[in-house]
Amino acid sequence: MLMTEPTPDPSTQASPANVEQALYEKRQKIYPREVHGTFAALRTAAVFTLLGLFYGLPWLSWDGRQAVLFDLPARKFYVFGLTFWPQDFLLLTLLLMMGALSLFLFTALAGRLWCGYACPQTVWTEVFLWMERLVEGNRQQQMKLDQAPWSARKFRIKATKQLLWVSFAAWTGFSFVAFFTPAAKLGQELATFSVGPWETFWMVFYGFATYGNAGFLREQVCKYMCPYARFQSAMFDKDTLIISYDKERGDPRGSRKAGADPKARGLGDCINCTMCVQVCPTGIDIRNGLQYECIGCSACVDVCNDVMAKMNYAPNLIRYTTQHAMDGKPSRIIRPRVLVYSGLLAAVGLFFLYLLFSRSPLALDVIRDRNQLYRERAGKIENVYTLKVLNLADHAREFHVTADGIEELELSMANGAISVPAGGVLDVPVVLRAEEDDLEAVSTTVHFTLTAADDAALKFTHDAKFLGPRP
Amino acid sequence: MLSVFVPTRWMPVPARFGAVLWLSFLLAAVATGIFFSAIDPEELRFCVTFPEVSRTGAYTIGFFLFWLLTAASGVLAVAFTYPPASESGTETPHVDD
Repeated sequence: MLMTEPTPDPSTQASPANVEQALYEKRQKIYPREVHGTFAALRTAAVFTLLGLFYGLPWLSWDGRQAVLFDLPARKFYVFGLTFWPQDFLLLTLLLMMGALSLFLFTALAGRLWCGYACPQTVWTEVFLWMERLVEGNRQQQMKLDQAPWSARKFRIKATKQLLWVSFAAWTGFSFVAFFTPAAKLGQELATFSVGPWETFWMVFYGFATYGNAGFLREQVCKYMCPYARFQSAMFDKDTLIISYDKERGDPRGSRKAGADPKARGLGDCINCTMCVQVCPTGIDIRNGLQYECIGCSACVDVCNDVMAKMNYAPNLIRYTTQHAMDGKPSRIIRPRVLVYSGLLAAVGLFFLYLLFSRSPLALDVIRDRNQLYRERAGKIENVYTLKVLNLADHAREFHVTADGIEELELSMANGAISVPAGGVLDVPVVLRAEEDDLEAVSTTVHFTLTAADDAALKFTHDAKFLGPRP
Repeated sequence: MLSVFVPTRWMPVPARFGAVLWLSFLLAAVATGIFFSAIDPEELRFCVTFPEVSRTGAYTIGFFLFWLLTAASGVLAVAFTYPPASESGTETPHVDD
């Protein structure tokens, strides 16, 4: 069965007493050894691309405004040339569904690609590890430093690392908030110490979360907190790419002199150098088989290939493979679950595109006057509203508004024509007037209809309540 | 002892709270998105009187209220999945591997 617990190594098999102890044992800090190679390079590329987008996008301009801005205070999202409004929420939902389905599809095909290369937890942890290595040195130096008693040198090194971490986390918090408050404005506010309380809070909160997750929690997030880590095995089958140690070829393991013939000594290709364990960010031994802690980062693949090259052995003692391939059966890419996931993904994606390109270029929101329910004037009942007229088109437009739902309902507003700039919202105060006799209830539903002046087919209707005295 | 504070072999106690907090965080984020895309906090002013806060402030408060709710339900669910002390016969519930 896939994703079971590791087969325990007989030498370390725990007696019940040891288990009891392990229960309460403090977590051992993991010092992942630095690794170079094909997959490490891929991950570095992913780190630069993803974090480049995260830290860079807020500084990109488009048509005189920030290219990607989730303007929550104004309830508008800008993504390059597109503007999204609260009524486009369905699009966001579909986008999230597409994200989830892609995750299922890629998991079924290639295992935990997301975990190994794209998850923010991995990406930020990688950067925090780089900073740790920069200041504290390599794995051995880090372990030595942590074991050493406190000294001025240790304090200096630790303080430098913390300074780097905290600054980077603060910059991360700033960038996060810059997706919601324009980066240039936020920078200015920061320089003059006039950042709003909520922005300050979110900067600190997000910065702190980054620091905690990437600096301290690290693999524990994946092991204990991540929902995906717990259900991803449901997407696995025997044709899914997994990282695996070739037991047939590697065992029996053992150290040997360079150039010695392993066969003569009865050994496999694994020289038991434990490099694969040292590079593992979750501290497992991949040679024990597939384990739920494995995030598929393939650091062990890279490092083992280095060792194999040094030994003049063939590469890929640890490699990406499938359960079927290991059992000597052919692996298939096209299989029912892959078809189901990609079919659903395509369907949702097409629906998303259809909705995106058939969005109504006009919209209307109706807000009742907050100060009074209704007023009586000249024998008639009046209700006051503010119409929010949204022009979602990329050019300015004029609109007309009508209202119905009550007999002889009158609508009046300060000026007849409503002219709204491209992508703009105009607040239009209007008054609805009705005879008291025409009202059958305290509250009557009325319909406001917005029509584009240049195209009578472009309409948008919004309902509102008309309040009056008890009939 | 409250059962949420009983460690298991599989998961230390702080990790359990971490899991509850993180999962409830994600759900609270989703709930906040749905809630505030349907409801503009400025419009709530019409029917509810609350201290003057900006939209951003209202979103933040809303998010934390959702988080409080989801986290509370998570912690309770965790606590309720343990057998009560009387059932297990000992003060500390028996925990299977």
